[in-house]
Amino acid sequence: MAIINLKKKQVQAKIVYYGPGRGGKTTNLEYIYKKFRTRIQTEMVTIKTHGDRTLFFDFLPIDIGKIKGYDIRIQLYTVPGQVKYESTRRLVLRGVDGIVFVADSLAVRRKENVLSLKSLADNLASYKKSILDIPLVFQYNKRDLLDEGIPLLPVEWLEKDLNSKLKVPYFEASALKGPNVVQTMKKIIILTIDSLRKDLT
Amino acid sequence: MAQQREQDDFRSQVEDRLDHLFQEDSPEETEEYVGLGEHPLKNLKAVLLSIDWEITDSTMDSLLNEIKSVEYVYAEDKIILTFLQLLGSVGRYVKANKGKAHPEATRVINSVYEALEKAALTEGISRAEKEKMLLAEVAKFKKLKELVMLRKAEKKEPAVPPVKPPPEVSPAPVPEEKRIPAAETPVQVQREMVVEEAPVREEKETAAPGTPAREETPAEARPVDFRGMAPHEAFAYALEEIKSMILAEFRALRAEIKLWRESK
Repeated sequence: MAIINLKKKQVQAKIVYYGPGRGGKTTNLEYIYKKFRTRIQTEMVTIKTHGDRTLFFDFLPIDIGKIKGYDIRIQLYTVPGQVKYESTRRLVLRGVDGIVFVADSLAVRRKENVLSLKSLADNLASYKKSILDIPLVFQYNKRDLLDEGIPLLPVEWLEKDLNSKLKVPYFEASALKGPNVVQTMKKIIILTIDSLRKDLT
Repeated sequence: MAQQREQDDFRSQVEDRLDHLFQEDSPEETEEYVGLGEHPLKNLKAVLLSIDWEITDSTMDSLLNEIKSVEYVYAEDKIILTFLQLLGSVGRYVKANKGKAHPEATRVINSVYEALEKAALTEGISRAEKEKMLLAEVAKFKKLKELVMLRKAEKKEPAVPPVKPPPEVSPAPVPEEKRIPAAETPVQVQREMVVEEAPVREEKETAAPGTPAREETPAEARPVDFRGMAPHEAFAYALEEIKSMILAEFRALRAEIKLWRESK
């Protein structure tokens, strides 16, 4: 749930990057942080395991500045992708306002994408939120691997598997190299702010 | 109507601000990357990318098979062959231990592969540079071996009833021709590292009959179904997960500090 302080005219929204393990959630945040570090002027907090995997979450706050008198702050989070951290993912989703689902385009990850999306729906339901209502954007990550001849899932398959009912915006991206990482983030911020607008009037 | 207009105005202001804040004015650092195309490493990379934390026998078998295929292609290139043997050694260790393998192992696999790809694909790279890269990877491999042994030693420390010593373990079953031939080059000097003391042997010993099984921490246990669980119960599980991961991290850190002190 966004923190909206009408008296101080402050809005703080929480956006979570969700998806299967090793899909590129942390890499998304790292790309944004490295590329725009001097402009966003905040620190990225990340807690990794010894094996370089996300232990609890990554956190990147972004100050958008004042818009129509409101001071808008966005908090980007990732969840740990490994299957065994289901309860941690659930905790990170608490109070979420918008979600980027980072799907892994590798052909061998088809099942993991579907299972992860299902777990997202279940975890949101535990907070009485519906995946059909929450601002959501899909990112089909690792598309750059196509150039290397690595077998990837065609976007049509990803759309059919994940987005046929939800019909939300999607981006083909490469979190490692950058294409559409920023576009994904911009889209989810706009959708999230839009959904919060009614509380600001 | 007025409300709609105000909403649109608000939205466009957010968009403008985001465009300003995240303007990608400098073109992406587009490294001139040569794709793998039909390169023999293509399948190996695909298999490596498919190894997730939830490591299965089939993914690890694919990796080991793919390494064998590439070894055949590079039979004449001793440096690339050594990279592949390093990969195979760590791969066999991970296969034997799966999720219980030392977390550093996956990092070493990725690092060795990256160096291997660079050595195999970079045009005009000198032999000396390749050897330098290889030695760096060998050092990482050795460090991993020490970490694995330390972890094993730490696990043996708790007072447990004495058990029968594990049976004598024969050297890893690697054909003689796959060993790096003894000789003059720096690469060849490293022969003993690849197979003869491969971590997989350590773990075979651990898994020997009569040896107490490693205690499974809650975080390493099978995932729990949280759907029917009350929020406070789920919270308790999450805390347990975090606690056990932090303990594991501290164990690894202690082992590294010990190593560092010893190296001083």
